[in-house]
Amino acid sequence: MTENQIELRGVRRSYERGGERLDVLQGLDLTMATGSFHALMGPSGSGKTTLLNLIGGLDQPDAGEVFVCGEDLARLSNQELAQWRADHVGFVFQGFNLLPVLTARENVELPLQLTPLSRADRRAQAERALELVGLTERMTHKPSELSGGQEQRVAIARAIAMDPDLILADEPTGDLDRAAAEQVLELLGQLNRELGKTILMVTHDPAAAEHASHVVHLDKGRLESITKNPERVRSEA
Amino acid sequence: MTMVPMSYTFRSLFVRKSSTVLTTLSIGATVAVLAFMLCLQQGFQTMFVDRGSEELAIFMRPGATSEGQSAFPRSRSDILIKETPEIAQDEDGKPMGSAEVYLAIRRFKVDGGETNVPFRGVDPMTFALHGDELKMTEGRRFEVGADELIVGKSLTERFVDCAVGDTMVVNVTPFRVVGIFEGKGNQNSEIWGDSNRLMEALERRNLSRVVAKLKPGTDIEALADRLSKDKRVPAKVQTEREYLSSQTTTLSATFFILGGLLGGIMGIAAIFTGTNAMFSQIAARTHEIGVLLSMGFRPFAIFFAFLFEAMLLGLAGGLFGCLLVLPLNGMQTGTMNAKTFSESVFAFQMTPTVLIAAVGFALVLGFVGGAIPALKAARMSPTVALRRR
Amino acid sequence: MLRLVLRNLLAHKTRSALTMCSMAFAVCLMCILQASLIGLESAVTNAAVNRLWIQSAVSLFVPLPMSYEAKIESVAGVEHACKFQWFGGIYQDESNFFAQFGIDPDSFQDCYPELEIVEGSYEAFAQNRRGCIIGEGLAEKYGFALGDTVPIIGTIFPRTGGGAWEFVVEAIYRPRTTAMDRVTMYFDFAYLEEALRAGDSRGAQGVGVFLAKLDDDADPTEAMGAIDGFFENGPQRVQTTTEAEFGRQFLSMLGNVPAMLAAVGGAVLFAIFFAVLNTMLAAGRERMRAVGILKAMGFRNGFVFSTLLVESLVLCTAGAAIGLGISIGLEGGLQSAFAGMIQSFEISSQVALGSLVIAIVIGTVAGIAPGRSAARVSTIQALRTQA
Repeated sequence: MTENQIELRGVRRSYERGGERLDVLQGLDLTMATGSFHALMGPSGSGKTTLLNLIGGLDQPDAGEVFVCGEDLARLSNQELAQWRADHVGFVFQGFNLLPVLTARENVELPLQLTPLSRADRRAQAERALELVGLTERMTHKPSELSGGQEQRVAIARAIAMDPDLILADEPTGDLDRAAAEQVLELLGQLNRELGKTILMVTHDPAAAEHASHVVHLDKGRLESITKNPERVRSEA
Repeated sequence: MTMVPMSYTFRSLFVRKSSTVLTTLSIGATVAVLAFMLCLQQGFQTMFVDRGSEELAIFMRPGATSEGQSAFPRSRSDILIKETPEIAQDEDGKPMGSAEVYLAIRRFKVDGGETNVPFRGVDPMTFALHGDELKMTEGRRFEVGADELIVGKSLTERFVDCAVGDTMVVNVTPFRVVGIFEGKGNQNSEIWGDSNRLMEALERRNLSRVVAKLKPGTDIEALADRLSKDKRVPAKVQTEREYLSSQTTTLSATFFILGGLLGGIMGIAAIFTGTNAMFSQIAARTHEIGVLLSMGFRPFAIFFAFLFEAMLLGLAGGLFGCLLVLPLNGMQTGTMNAKTFSESVFAFQMTPTVLIAAVGFALVLGFVGGAIPALKAARMSPTVALRRR
Repeated sequence: MLRLVLRNLLAHKTRSALTMCSMAFAVCLMCILQASLIGLESAVTNAAVNRLWIQSAVSLFVPLPMSYEAKIESVAGVEHACKFQWFGGIYQDESNFFAQFGIDPDSFQDCYPELEIVEGSYEAFAQNRRGCIIGEGLAEKYGFALGDTVPIIGTIFPRTGGGAWEFVVEAIYRPRTTAMDRVTMYFDFAYLEEALRAGDSRGAQGVGVFLAKLDDDADPTEAMGAIDGFFENGPQRVQTTTEAEFGRQFLSMLGNVPAMLAAVGGAVLFAIFFAVLNTMLAAGRERMRAVGILKAMGFRNGFVFSTLLVESLVLCTAGAAIGLGISIGLEGGLQSAFAGMIQSFEISSQVALGSLVIAIVIGTVAGIAPGRSAARVSTIQALRTQA
């Protein structure tokens, strides 16, 4: 494992929209140490989600290098990227994105189907993950029977079920009230501190950003600043 | 009450192109089956039943239900024609009756295969009987006492040896085809010749029936009643129209029932399809419904908008179904007449009745398929609908 | 994966149920059409090779002399000859159509090894001049039982004094193969002939067609030639055909009916295919976001593709199974409804298999379209889709 979990060099990404070229990322360099908790902030359209998608291997850069967990993602095929995601990354989305037709436990178990684990092992692992997020009681409920905060915790349980090195969260508290949001952020912090997960979290909310060790400010596709949050920086990575 | 603008419905159908097209195709195929069967039935109906004359009477042996079962020796048919006062007379005072011999004979089709073709030996009076309704389209009439035949126009293209100048062997006697005629109904799929010559060639001892023109104002029921009890020549009498419809009611009804049955079963399946399509439309547009409701449209307006959309889909399907069947219009087809075991040729007919029935059926499909989903849409609570993205 | 598929199907109960029902109806209809087609052709396809039919060379409707029976039997290779006279009578009403034939009781049974007597006895029939033997289909449809008198109004052979012919049911048969139908009445030809001779009935004397049963080792082609040759110089020429050919002449009289049935079947296929495709496309659209989630988690495109494909297949096969069940349930009713029109009506394993195959093909094709678009869509785009 390298010192730095994430290394981006000269990353460019643009989209065509309505016939117009939109340069979302314009030569971005960014390094994140293993075990760090970064919050990614910036106004709408600054390229936060695009950056997150690139790091998560959902998207490929037009130019530049994206090293994540020791892989140059630009060199991987779509199928290889899928496998890489399964091995290294857990996603948490703003809209929770649980499958409505499955129960909480089944949702958490879903990514484990990509592993050679036995049925019983998968189940046990899913239950451990749900226990970690404090939802043992709610395992057999469907997403529609859960509160927003609970849904997001199930989504986090799902993200960590595969024991990934990296957790990527896109506005995880965007749809939640203050109390539920605080709970979710606390959980993310705990995963970072106690399990050593590297976390990158896109957020609009300065209060949420306070939970991170570093805050990355993005504007118009460029890195504006990185501020350290001294009390959250772990003693030694 | 304000209605949801129609443009909303049209736009929606247009935006969801694949769903609209697939539903239309699906309903279209269903309607096509119904239209297809109705075209058959209509073609059959106009071919046989509607062309029957009220002035012509058919005399058969009592108990016979078709001419194939009927038989008269020449002596009796002569008595019938000469001594029935109700039969009209021509300018020369001769009774306008024709004794006919009828037999279905196997003939080769041009495209291979054999089927029975009706041969009819007729008396010379026959041309006067049918008047303008019987025309020679090619060649001339057969001559009395000659081994000559005239062929109904539906047969010429479909059977071998049926063109003017061809020689056609009947049993062992060669006959010459001298003309093509156009008559009404099934006459066009028959071959005619002199009755005495055909009786001899076919080794028949009896004639099959007598056709006669009745004097205007004849009470046919009284005539039928009298002749059924006649001592010398008992006979069953029907108008030509009655006779033809009795020959074809079963088949006509079969088409009708079959069309109804097939259309019905497929219709139910199509209703399910339509309901499905509308349900998924509504599921996908829940948010839009919320917006419409919050703007102040009444639930009924929503209900109506979706029902209208479903019926538009039905209409499109109905028109498409008719379009599918349209190329068949006028196409000739043959089927067995179970009474005579010979082929009857008739044409598909796309009548207004068929169009109206088919489109009406399609609208009903749209209505039934759309009603429940539209009700569901109308009953949504605006707040819940808006929350769904 | 199967669980995910089942959950998705159950989550949209209405849609799944409706699609399955339309599939069921379509399959049911296809089974019926297919069975009808096969039934129509069964007289030809299952015809016996050792039976020949002899009709007048002029027309099927010209009778042959009775004396021909002995002459046919004298031809080398012919084991038995049996008279067959189409009676064309009416039971109560014209709509109750079934065939009646006058036959020779002493040779009929030997000509038809397919004949299985299920009630009464053949001997009783052979001994009673007014006796008849009926198919079990007639017994079911009209409730005829042993000993019943069945009145038949003659059309080709009307009774002189009016009124009906009366036949007594002495035996009920069941055909062992579909070469024979189960809705025919056979009676003693001698009864008809005696009545005609005595003047009790009007109509042409003579025999409609003769049936010749060949010896096991006889060559049918040779025998046909021999029989035709025997009567070449009259008094009446005959045309001898194999049973298959004899059946085909009736089939060809139906004209385009088989083609029409097939066309209707095609339309059914067409309709159901678009219906299922529509459902699956809708399912695919609604599932876009879920597809995005699965892909983000690292599931391969192939997995996403197969969930939709399997879903479509499950829907179609389940629907087809229901449809098949319905058509098997309807089999008995349709059998008697079609009696007289169609030689045999049977939802055979061939029909069942054919319909299942069609359902699977439809399911596969309908699953591929949304499956492919789900597999192809980029993860980001799929995630951005509003559920």
